[in-house]
Amino acid sequence: MNKNEELAPHVNDITRALKGKASEEEVERELQEWLEKYRVDLPTAKRSVVNKLGGDPQDLYIRTEKKIGEITGAEKNLEVKVRIVSITEKNIEVDGEPKKIYYGIFGDDTGTIPFTLWEPLTEELEKGDTVHVINAYATTWNDKPQINIGSRGRMKMLEDGDVPEFKRTPQRCNIMDVREGMRDLIITGRILSLENKIIQTENGEKDLCSGIVADPTGKIQFSAWHDFDLKEDQVIEVEGGYIRSWRGVPQLSFDENASVEVLDDSTVPSGADLEEAGMMTISQLARRGGAVDAIIDAVMIDVKSGSGLIFRCPECNRVVQKSACRIHGKVDGEPDLRVKGILDDGTGALTVIITRDETEKILGYDLDKAMQIARDRMDHGIIKDELEDRLIAQPLRLKGNVTCDDYGLMLIASDVQEKKIDMEKEARRLLDEVRI
Amino acid sequence: MSMIQREVAWRLFAEEFNQSTLEISGSEAERTPSYVVTPLGAMVNRVYMVGVLTETENLGTQDDPMWRARVSDPTGTYFVSAGQYQPGAATAISSLEPPAFVAVVGKSSVYRPDDESMFTSLRCECIKVVSEELRDYWILEAARALKTRLEAMEEARKMDNVSVEELTKLGFESDLARGVVKAAEHYDSISLDKYWSMLEDSLMYVLPEYERRTTLEESTDVTEEDNSELEDLILEIIGEMEEELSQDEGVDYGDLMVEVMNRAKISEEEFEEAVKNLRSIGHLYEPDLGSLKRIY
Repeated sequence: MNKNEELAPHVNDITRALKGKASEEEVERELQEWLEKYRVDLPTAKRSVVNKLGGDPQDLYIRTEKKIGEITGAEKNLEVKVRIVSITEKNIEVDGEPKKIYYGIFGDDTGTIPFTLWEPLTEELEKGDTVHVINAYATTWNDKPQINIGSRGRMKMLEDGDVPEFKRTPQRCNIMDVREGMRDLIITGRILSLENKIIQTENGEKDLCSGIVADPTGKIQFSAWHDFDLKEDQVIEVEGGYIRSWRGVPQLSFDENASVEVLDDSTVPSGADLEEAGMMTISQLARRGGAVDAIIDAVMIDVKSGSGLIFRCPECNRVVQKSACRIHGKVDGEPDLRVKGILDDGTGALTVIITRDETEKILGYDLDKAMQIARDRMDHGIIKDELEDRLIAQPLRLKGNVTCDDYGLMLIASDVQEKKIDMEKEARRLLDEVRI
Repeated sequence: MSMIQREVAWRLFAEEFNQSTLEISGSEAERTPSYVVTPLGAMVNRVYMVGVLTETENLGTQDDPMWRARVSDPTGTYFVSAGQYQPGAATAISSLEPPAFVAVVGKSSVYRPDDESMFTSLRCECIKVVSEELRDYWILEAARALKTRLEAMEEARKMDNVSVEELTKLGFESDLARGVVKAAEHYDSISLDKYWSMLEDSLMYVLPEYERRTTLEESTDVTEEDNSELEDLILEIIGEMEEELSQDEGVDYGDLMVEVMNRAKISEEEFEEAVKNLRSIGHLYEPDLGSLKRIY
């Protein structure tokens, strides 16, 4: 959103409070000066502009009826007519006293907004009801406005119920391009794997169907919170999906508000072809914030300490150092094999964890043999040395899930292969491109 | 996002790295890294390269070592160092026997003897003997990366105002785009053709049919006749300058250039070329970054 669009609702507020004493252009110019030149906060700026242009700042707070799309987060005396998109009861404790509050989402034809009702309901209200809210106030959370209805506020059922529903135009999106927080997406892809489970939620048991769906640009984990009768290898078009992240990895969710259509099989490449769709550079992974089932071609440029033969605390599985766990003190550590290294593909770098099975494959022997070698040489470090020898500078093709947090990207490798390419062929291909 | 980003290891030929004359100094307090910006816009903090180890030398002492190694790729030579703060790498270099194919991970490092000149080298993080196959694989990686930078640089030259936005719009990574903008400002007169032919040569290096030709070319081009006069002069001047110095000290590169250019009407490039040649045929060596000594 550009700056002018962001300021527009505030300019509206001020112009209204000034009751015709100044034009919108004038107000906008003034407001920008207060904000950008004098850098005061927004509420102060608004009061100051009203004052300067000859109005009464109190008029900023007179009851204002607004559409959801106009709410800025600074409204003190807000009135809206909205439809309840969702409403959930929650028990909290205030000063040691139990209290019942409600939270949910309001909608009208201009958008949706989260709300919290801090007082008991005066009448039964449920999803789909249209309500008239007065004396509410708006705040912002994570830069997004929300409505609060406190002790002065009222929320009354509207008899005529004449609030149009908000229709967002769904956006088509490639799986590679999804980002946390996206909503109303249209995603077309093939279901590569599928699992049905029953999970416990606040509202009792719920069926959840989860799996992996792929298009030619990438793969993504999905969760269907409604029975769409999905089957493995189906090509589906989901309309109304949204993206949530788990450990930094974006996931596609869709529920009963979404629609799912089964498309002709030829719309999306076959499952085998899509396996390659996970192929990503590390810079792509960094931009996207992780991925499920990614394939990465990279070179191992460092094998970190904590690789090779390690010992884990039997209580908490943490790696123990000098037979002492950080939490549980002296313990009899259980042996394990792993690699903790740095992969770099020239576009970026990430941390990789290779677990025991794959590490055994790289070494060509199992944990017992590794223990024996370490005992014979009286040196646990020998296994790390051997892994360094095999892995550093080695071009690899790795597969696995990539998570993203404050410490950067981390790949948990489920498969590690030495990368083989026909060097002569590749050199000729590049040479042809250069000589054009 | 406050994500910690590890600096990427650039695949970069020695020639492009060594031609760099722009450094962006980071600050330890603000935890911003330093970069060498190459003529083609690579913003290099770390390099990954595979080449031929041709020389190792300990310029320090047994207890306080400062190992220097030269590692060559098809275009030039990387100077790689490891001292007491890189104990693992120093030990590794000390145990290597040239010639050998080695893979090197290193941090870019810059030495400026004066305002004019800048010498680039790598502070070694890791060095390891590898196969010839891995060297060829690296050449392909470095060639692909070079091609992308050349393409970015050509696009940048077409623009009236080179900007990160315009370059990313064309599909270049934003990290590269930032470097290209800086390079376009700093290096105004570099020849891209030179890098295009460097790219072509490096790819041919991998192909079997070119193997013989390239070695033949190299053996002739080392002893070019028309330069010998200049080379003799340089050796003479170094000899004179060395007499004023203590035995272990080398002649400052910048001082030498000024002296030589005073006496002979040559360009900076001609001087550099002659020194490079004298080094490659073993008449000169570099005891320290930015200084030269004669080999008698």
